[in-house]
Amino acid sequence: MKIKPDQYPLIVIATLVIFTVLGLALGFVPSRGGSEEHGLTPTQVEVASVYLNNI
Amino acid sequence: MNSKSTNLEKSKSSLKVRTIFQVLSLVGTFLIGLRHLMPGESSRGGAFDSFCPLGGIETLLPYLQTGQTLKTTNLLNFALLIGVVGVSLLAGRAFCGWICPVGAAQEFLAGLASRLTGGNKKRRGKTDRLILPIKISQKFDPWLRSLKYLILAVVILASTWTIYPPLREICPARALFSFQLSAPLLISVLVVFIITSMVNRLFWCKYLCPMGAALAIFNKISPMRLVLNQDSCTACGRCDPECPMDIQNVPENLRSAECIQCLECLETCTVHGSIQIQLG
Repeated sequence: MKIKPDQYPLIVIATLVIFTVLGLALGFVPSRGGSEEHGLTPTQVEVASVYLNNI
Repeated sequence: MNSKSTNLEKSKSSLKVRTIFQVLSLVGTFLIGLRHLMPGESSRGGAFDSFCPLGGIETLLPYLQTGQTLKTTNLLNFALLIGVVGVSLLAGRAFCGWICPVGAAQEFLAGLASRLTGGNKKRRGKTDRLILPIKISQKFDPWLRSLKYLILAVVILASTWTIYPPLREICPARALFSFQLSAPLLISVLVVFIITSMVNRLFWCKYLCPMGAALAIFNKISPMRLVLNQDSCTACGRCDPECPMDIQNVPENLRSAECIQCLECLETCTVHGSIQIQLG
């Protein structure tokens, strides 16, 4: 079966979304933190907060 | 003549869609990095590293051995890896060509280098001599390409005795998007990444990326692939200079493990139907 080039990106992104959701549905969700200290100064955190609040 | 112009018009729309995908991928990853500057990472799905499908490969063996993922990774890495493997099972390395933010960053940097050195005058499908980006000599290219498979093997082996993901401190995705350039090594990685991307198009993808190495096998087995119509191909060679992965003799190597399914060859071809996407 031939696929039109216009349809190709949609097929790729739909497949990615479907399989990722499948992965999440299978239970691969963050169960434990996996976090780390961000190691930033309070000023850097403040700048990021201002930026995120403005978008 | 009519079929030629129709094909080129379609090409332009496909090119634009790919660029849009790459921009969205870059912006999305930048936002993930920006969001992780805030305290309390665990409430947002884990560290920045846990949003990387390669993290799923890096933490797979330790997880199977101990039931615990490496530090800064978590089960979300596996969900993303399943998503990427799903795409690859269907369409080979399409993830590399359409979605990967590291690949997108490299393409934009190569485009910038090309513009800065007068490459915007380059004619599509022509082998105009460019100052930047340059191509690596065919003498060394195949050897350098095999480096990424070696890196993948080392990463998988090293993951069994490391605490953090083995590539973490030299990961270009972290250097580009995590906004955590506290370590001098990561700053060096960023500088080297920018320079190599501008000097040689998709340098990281071609020679070093372990994710690309892991996905290469899918190009050989995926049902959705590029096929050549031998009857209409005129072997004009227009597609060769446009391949971002520098694959030689593109029409004969449409199933190459190096192909990232970017469709540049299909878009450059002026003979309608010579290169097609086929499913099954």
